[in-house]
Amino acid sequence: MTSLRLESVSVAVGGRTLLDAVSIELEAGRFLALVGPNGAGKTTLLRAALGLVPTSAGRVIVGNQPLHALSPRARAAEVAWLPQQPLPMESVPAREAVMAARFRFSETAAATRRAAEQALERVGLAERASSPLTELSGGERQRIAIAALLAQEARFLLLDEPANHLDPAQQGDTYALLGRLLETGIGILCVTHDVNLLNHTGGAPQVAGLRGGKLVFTRSFEAPELPAELGALFGVRMLSLAANHARLIVPAPPEPQGGIG
Amino acid sequence: MTLRSLGLAAVSLALMAVAVVVGPALDGAQGDFILWQLRVPRVLVGGLVGGTLGLVGATFQTLFANPLASESTVGTTAGATLGALLALALELPGGFPAVFGCACLGAALASLSVSLVAGSGRAAMADVLLAGITVTVATGALSVGLQYLSDSRALVAAARWSLGQLPQVGYDGVLVLAPLVIPAWLVLLGLARALQTFAFGEELSASRGVNVPRLRTLVLAAGSLSVAACVAWCGPIAFVGLIVPHGVRRIVGPTLARVLPLSLVTGAAFLVLCDALARSLSPGRELPVGVVTAALGAPALVLLLFRSRRA
Repeated sequence: MTSLRLESVSVAVGGRTLLDAVSIELEAGRFLALVGPNGAGKTTLLRAALGLVPTSAGRVIVGNQPLHALSPRARAAEVAWLPQQPLPMESVPAREAVMAARFRFSETAAATRRAAEQALERVGLAERASSPLTELSGGERQRIAIAALLAQEARFLLLDEPANHLDPAQQGDTYALLGRLLETGIGILCVTHDVNLLNHTGGAPQVAGLRGGKLVFTRSFEAPELPAELGALFGVRMLSLAANHARLIVPAPPEPQGGIG
Repeated sequence: MTLRSLGLAAVSLALMAVAVVVGPALDGAQGDFILWQLRVPRVLVGGLVGGTLGLVGATFQTLFANPLASESTVGTTAGATLGALLALALELPGGFPAVFGCACLGAALASLSVSLVAGSGRAAMADVLLAGITVTVATGALSVGLQYLSDSRALVAAARWSLGQLPQVGYDGVLVLAPLVIPAWLVLLGLARALQTFAFGEELSASRGVNVPRLRTLVLAAGSLSVAACVAWCGPIAFVGLIVPHGVRRIVGPTLARVLPLSLVTGAAFLVLCDALARSLSPGRELPVGVVTAALGAPALVLLLFRSRRA
């Protein structure tokens, strides 16, 4: 089985340590959610795993090779990225935003176009292929970006809050789509603020907690100690609720307090 | 879309053909001479120069991620002008190759310094233009100082050259420019797919397999070299690279596979038409074509600025 491995990766920018000796492993067909307070280094971790920021120590290994030894195109075959702001506000047709993700393939423009349209179909936006990005809603833009991610056909997907801008139904749909990708052997590393969406992916997702650039824990989503660990990570009390044979982990509401006067 | 693209290309080529026959009627041997030794080479050089400026402008807009970037706004033209003026005013031996060499050096230094600002990560759109303006103003001041210090004969030649003009006798210009600019065209057109991917974001394109440092180097090198060749032969001709790609985008949309070749063809037609205008506005006297493009380009730049502020 191939895997994407960070081995004691540190990233320092301008004397500040953003990532401190983090080791994680993402296996093919597995889902790893990355959680942590704002500024914990989640996005930096993704960028390091993509080879977009130089590591000051440690290395990223994909398969049996160091990531930095791969050519840009070979790297794009291994890891694909969904950034937080994935699309520019330009009047480019949606189809072309997806086609741009096929750069790594040496193929005809017609083949690129077909692949892009198939990807749009998978996110349910085939009929919007010719719409300019500027005329799409926030949710549609996010799904176009996910279509682009699929069109790249990489083995590992690194996603930065893929449910951003989506309504609850679409959030569930997106994670269900990611779950179906797991079955095809794709590995997913996903930054999220809402672990409950993992109920939609199936498989046995794992959760990694990051704070201050350090890896604090890695747990199965089913693990009984996860709510307490998430609570400690964010500095709030977390409740574990049972619903539909699934578990929801939510911050506890504030305690009732006595009046001031 | 495709129909529009073909239409734009056809109209551009037709207008270039028309530009050959604009002017007094041509009869007999003298007419033949005027047609084949003056007008046709002039249109060909105009086409080579205009095409280069249009294409380089379109690629720079994408590379700098800035709708107002072009060879004349990021300092490439100014750098080439300073280099060429240095060669002319100092009367360096070596003729055109010396002028071209100095122009190349100037253009490369200017584009490189502006792209360092642009590539430093957090540069805002305005920073790139400010850096370009700084380079342009600085080289402009140096150019004037240079002209002030040089002797009067060299001064006249330099001053005339620095207005930007296309007149020529015979095909020397075509033979000099074509082998310099056409390879640059091929390089830039070949980068359309990489540039299109780059247009969706620098880091995102890197994650999709674009070799960003290589792309940047190739665009800047091909752009600087070809613009330097044009400047060395004709003098600085402003604004073509700014107006033409914008006009083309309006007509055929933002897809670079169409915008790049059409900026080339339309840029060629635009400059040739400006030149036809320049030589027929006042009979018996010719305006330098650089004056015409600047007269059209300055208001166009203001218009674009207003539009980008509203957006």
